[in-house]
Amino acid sequence: MNIKGSPWKGSLLLLLVSNLLLSHYIHNLSSEMFSEFDKRYTHGRGFITKAINSCHTSSLATPEDKEQAQQINQKDFLSLIVSILRSWNEPLYHLVTEVRGMQEAPEAILSKAVEIEEQTKRLLEGMELIVSQVHPETKENEIYPVWSGLSSLQMADEESRLSAYYNLLHCLRRDSHKIDNYLKLLKCRIIHNNNC
Amino acid sequence: MKENVASATVFTLLLFLNTCLLNGQLPPGKPEIFKCRSPNKETFTCWWKPGTDGGLPTNYSLTYHREGETLMHECPDYITGGPNSCHFGKQYTSMWRTYIMMVNATNQMGSSFSDELYVDVTYIVQPDPPLELAVEVKQPEDRKPYLWIKWSPPTLIDLKTGWFTLLYEIRLKPEKAAEWEIHFAGQQTEFKILSLHPGQKYLVQVRCKPDHGYWSAWSPATFIQIPSDFTMNDTTVWISVAVLSAVICLIIVWAVALKGYSMVTCIFPPVPGPKIKGFDAHLLEKGKSEELLSALGCQDFPPTSDYEDLLVEYLEVDDSEDQHLMSVHSKEHPSQGMKPTYLDPDTDSGRGSCDSPSLLSEKCEEPQTNPSTFYDPEVIEKPENPETTHTWDPQCISMEGKIPYFHAGGSKCSTWPLPQPSQHNPRSSYHNITDVCELAVGPAGAPATLLDEAGKDALKSSQTIKSGEEGKATQQREVESFHSETDQDTPWLLPQEKTPFGSAKPLDYVEIHKVNKDGALSLLPKQRENSGQPKKPGTPENNKEQAKVSGVMDNNILVLVSDPHAKNMACFEESAKEGPPSLEQNQAEKALANFPATPSKCRLQLGGLDYLDPACFTHSFH
Repeated sequence: MNIKGSPWKGSLLLLLVSNLLLSHYIHNLSSEMFSEFDKRYTHGRGFITKAINSCHTSSLATPEDKEQAQQINQKDFLSLIVSILRSWNEPLYHLVTEVRGMQEAPEAILSKAVEIEEQTKRLLEGMELIVSQVHPETKENEIYPVWSGLSSLQMADEESRLSAYYNLLHCLRRDSHKIDNYLKLLKCRIIHNNNC
Repeated sequence: MKENVASATVFTLLLFLNTCLLNGQLPPGKPEIFKCRSPNKETFTCWWKPGTDGGLPTNYSLTYHREGETLMHECPDYITGGPNSCHFGKQYTSMWRTYIMMVNATNQMGSSFSDELYVDVTYIVQPDPPLELAVEVKQPEDRKPYLWIKWSPPTLIDLKTGWFTLLYEIRLKPEKAAEWEIHFAGQQTEFKILSLHPGQKYLVQVRCKPDHGYWSAWSPATFIQIPSDFTMNDTTVWISVAVLSAVICLIIVWAVALKGYSMVTCIFPPVPGPKIKGFDAHLLEKGKSEELLSALGCQDFPPTSDYEDLLVEYLEVDDSEDQHLMSVHSKEHPSQGMKPTYLDPDTDSGRGSCDSPSLLSEKCEEPQTNPSTFYDPEVIEKPENPETTHTWDPQCISMEGKIPYFHAGGSKCSTWPLPQPSQHNPRSSYHNITDVCELAVGPAGAPATLLDEAGKDALKSSQTIKSGEEGKATQQREVESFHSETDQDTPWLLPQEKTPFGSAKPLDYVEIHKVNKDGALSLLPKQRENSGQPKKPGTPENNKEQAKVSGVMDNNILVLVSDPHAKNMACFEESAKEGPPSLEQNQAEKALANFPATPSKCRLQLGGLDYLDPACFTHSFH
């Protein structure tokens, strides 16, 4: 597991596992939040059709199956995760702001949004810490996808607004699952040498 | 003409429809994709439900395209998943991407399309049930028996790389029971069940789920018969213990019944009453202290108002080694008629019930070489003054529990359960005048004056436990709890012939160093082996103890009291009274007007076996 000279000290491995727990938790919250929103506002109304190709992170070249994931090297893998997380800072912030400002804000959804935003920040910090330790040569200013859906969230037309929220929550659910799966792959690769 | 054409068309159409209806052929009904599942996040399968087939052979085709692509694809595998299914192999399966698919049913008459289905493999994950469920009853020798359940993950799931994460759950129940007992097993592939009903037949099942996804179906049930003796080990042990305890209790009860009183008295010996030669209980009852005291030979003893209350029992100070003395006294008692009436209903002379004249006899020698506790003979005196001398109870005293006990019928007095009973120190320090004096002291120091090194520690502990007046009170109670069965009454005189404590052997010699003008006898211990003597705080003259003669008995026995000026407190006084050391001092002074220096040859052996040869002093003794 730990090769001499490897930067993966025990504390870093612990941090990795800790981040993994966070990512698992964040996806659970995101999944619940989406289900509650859909059930309450958009179920059976075909909003899924408009959610196709709506995620701002789709421009990132992320692995979509096991084989592709195996081929990415550790450094790129970590950078990828950090990029995704960074790209979600702003959408999450606005999600919380907007839901909070709604009339009759749905408390269940708002509370989850708040929690997800907070935990995602922690996860990002943890991942950035790992990267700085394991790959200190990584440039700080990595490009990450920018979200520009704020205007959609504030649209007057309810249908359009609902669609914007639906897309946001749909993409959040997906990306949180992606990050969780990536970290589990990394954990088995780094800690157990692919022998979980 | 036009009308003809129109009617002809209608007729043809109707004919065609008729033909179709007669044949039962219709275009196929609308199919519906009702389920898609991925067992491992690497492949997935979708199933559709065909509509009416219209009576004609119908072909189904599934076409799809993926999010971000425009190209349409057809199902790569219609076979693997069974009829009306489409199976997507590894190269066709992508995660985190929406598939838009539909099924096309076609027959001769036409075709129909299903609705589009938006499928993301991420959210359709449901594994197969776990495999190789094995259940076994394990009964290790020194532990509780348990049910050992083991299984394997389903095939084709990649756990090693972390691509897939599985969580398990088992359930079991007795065959006839209605409710299942469910246990979550996390990611482990084994489980132990401890609480089971013996003799029952159990069903066990297991299922699994991905970290985010659906539970699998339950595995086929495995049956296991729990043996009837599942918890036998425990039960056997407890039954054996119960039977053994019952047998022991029966034996004890039987023994007690047989031995009866003698056993009881051996365990709980009657507290001996002190016997003082010349003591007349009647006088005591009458309250005439002066007469009583004079009978005892005390002179000018300061009257204490309530000493009667203290005379509950008699203490017998006896030393069996000094046989002639004993016999003398034993003779004397009946003849003198001074056999005191015991206030204590237990008519004993304070002797141990171990068939020995006293607990301090040589029979008690072995176990009691070193009396480990000093008993404050408060049974006779009331602890009025912390400084008062206390007569001590020459009983064997158990150090351990501070509760004296006697061997049942043993010839030896086993009331000295010393840590090292075999350690017989002939020079027991309690013969050392210093110790004697300290013992007489009473208060916290009373039990502390330890007589022997072996018992020193024990004494010290007792000392710490009992301190001050509390200690005295405790001692008094302990003393009162004695029940001696001695037959003889012996005068209770410390320096005369009995050692108040323990061993009858001469333990130490004291040399009379000199006598000062106050009548104080300066004594020098012959040997100083008592290194562990507690409580010699800063005694400047460790090797010199001073004792005062407080009285003479029978014209040949010197009663000594320690010099109150010395650190050693007053020695035991012959009379059962104690007063402040100053009182003793005064009394001594009165008793002995002059006391010349004693030649060193006059050995004073305290502790009872010998006594001061009055020949040395007669000339100077008043």
